[in-house]
Amino acid sequence: MNYVEWLRVRNLLKIVAIILAILVVLAVALRISVSRYLSPEAWVAHYAMERGTSETRMTLPDGTKRLILDNPSERTRIVLDDHGYAGRHIVITEPSGHSRSDADHVNVGSIQVVESRHGGMTTTVIDTNGAVPVLYYMLMADVVALIVATILAAPFAREADGHLEIALTKPIPRARFAVGAIGADVAGIVAASFLTVVAFYICQLLFETARLDFSGVNSRAIAMGIACPLAWYAMLCAATTWLHRSYGAVLGFAWPVVILIGVLTIIHPANVVAFFIHDVARVLSYLIPFTYVSFASPDSHNTLLYEGGGDFTRRLSIEILLFVVYSALTIWKWQRVEA
Amino acid sequence: MSTITISSLRKFYGKIPAVDGFSLEIPSASVFGLLGPNGAGKTTTFKCMLGLARPSSGEIRYDGKPLVPETFERIAYIPERSVLYDWMTVEEHVEMTRRAFRSFDSRRAFELLATFGIDRRRRARALSKGMRTAVMVALAFARNAEILVLDEPTGGLDPVNQRHVLSLMINEAAKGNSIIFSSHQIGQVERAAEHIAVMDHGRLVLQGLVDDLKADRKIVEGIFPDVSFTLDGITNDARVARADRTERIVRLLVTAGADEIAARLSSAGAMGVRVLDLNLEDIFLYAVSPATATTDVVAKETST
Repeated sequence: MNYVEWLRVRNLLKIVAIILAILVVLAVALRISVSRYLSPEAWVAHYAMERGTSETRMTLPDGTKRLILDNPSERTRIVLDDHGYAGRHIVITEPSGHSRSDADHVNVGSIQVVESRHGGMTTTVIDTNGAVPVLYYMLMADVVALIVATILAAPFAREADGHLEIALTKPIPRARFAVGAIGADVAGIVAASFLTVVAFYICQLLFETARLDFSGVNSRAIAMGIACPLAWYAMLCAATTWLHRSYGAVLGFAWPVVILIGVLTIIHPANVVAFFIHDVARVLSYLIPFTYVSFASPDSHNTLLYEGGGDFTRRLSIEILLFVVYSALTIWKWQRVEA
Repeated sequence: MSTITISSLRKFYGKIPAVDGFSLEIPSASVFGLLGPNGAGKTTTFKCMLGLARPSSGEIRYDGKPLVPETFERIAYIPERSVLYDWMTVEEHVEMTRRAFRSFDSRRAFELLATFGIDRRRRARALSKGMRTAVMVALAFARNAEILVLDEPTGGLDPVNQRHVLSLMINEAAKGNSIIFSSHQIGQVERAAEHIAVMDHGRLVLQGLVDDLKADRKIVEGIFPDVSFTLDGITNDARVARADRTERIVRLLVTAGADEIAARLSSAGAMGVRVLDLNLEDIFLYAVSPATATTDVVAKETST
């Protein structure tokens, strides 16, 4: 019964898939072009070329291939344990003056770097078999999902724009038709998120092993990463169904208006008028799904800025509530549409 | 087999009545033509019949039952303008209709599309107005619906395809299905419809079997020797529905007793009197339009 909406979703997902495929192709090209820099042999060769460096290779009883580069004159020692698919464990010991970073603890994808200083020496431990937080992917997926949600978010206004004679003369109740259309779009938004996660995961696999971390903040990011675009979609749906003649303008101005409201809520009011505008914007912001997404940092070791804030359950509940309320408003209005 | 009953239908847009107390019974297994000038309320009536517009008052019943979503399994509708999705192919429109209606026959739809010479792979945006109409006709007639509501179903079609659509309508009626259609091409209505109803300003102004309307109504035309003549109260006769005068000529629309009225006109001094048959176009024009600019209306209450 919602064949047309499924076609709309399918066509949009095709475009998303093509864009993501181009991204993967670019990643493949990048991987090929930098392969010699990523090769351990090239990296080892670079260090081995330094004057006074000795190179020792051995295989440990568990099959690990160990490489030791030792340069007594520079007081530098590198131990590289290659565990194959389980990643690499590298320990670099060097004088503190050669230290390249002040950071104590850095995570980049699956790579974890821990640096510690003892006396005049710095020890850097690099592990390449860390789990990649899923929320990295969800950040990308959210951007795509919000774009897809914005594009899809006028199913009923599109029907009202010259196709009601088809949509309203089907042998099903209008409410069921509306639920079906919203269901198709929801599936499309979730599918777009999933495709994005898969594409970025493939990109990462090209460069390193990638175990995924779904724990803690990551699972919260997944939940919010799905709920927020859906609530945003439902809000635009409701707006366009009520103002169906100008749905293009509603979709086009939605982002600037939401950003403006967001800015007005954080600007400190300097006078009475500004205070009034600030308060109005704050009240309006309660209706906007983005308000309930937290960008707090979850812990001191992490620079992640997504879904780390407290009262997650309350915020997620509000997102779900917004989706339900906006969807109900949409269906209510759709039942009263006349051709 | 289905009878449609429209009772005291009213539909207001703001304070403007689009349909104003319209009642009609559309019999089953017939072709019913709904005529009227632009803005008469035909399309609004169709929309109310199909639940696309909510009546301000009145009701529509199908075999005595109100319209429910399931009723649409039995109704096929062609709106007056194209409602196809520009971005979809013809084939996708067929698939859309197949998924929506159990009784839809895809093979029949493709046969009809081939008859109209339409490539199923083309997108709707690439079709001409007539081709879009043809696609909607194919989709509607492949529905195997008991009731076909067709609002200008030949709009934009060439004469050959117009004739084809009329044949399809007559065939459907022969199968026992009901067709109600509107058209501004009265010749088509005359060829296809057994019954007609004429609307004007949202009201029913005439209805009946086409043959009966044509048999009953005649024009009695009299030519007088000069412009100063009197009709001796002929226009007050209840059988005279309308009287028009142009210089020395008077034309009377009579609903019965044409020969008797002609004799009275002769007695009043007319030099030449003749009785003319009406075609459906004449009947329609007399029903809905005032006299043309070149004709002076003769009020029934007065005679010159």
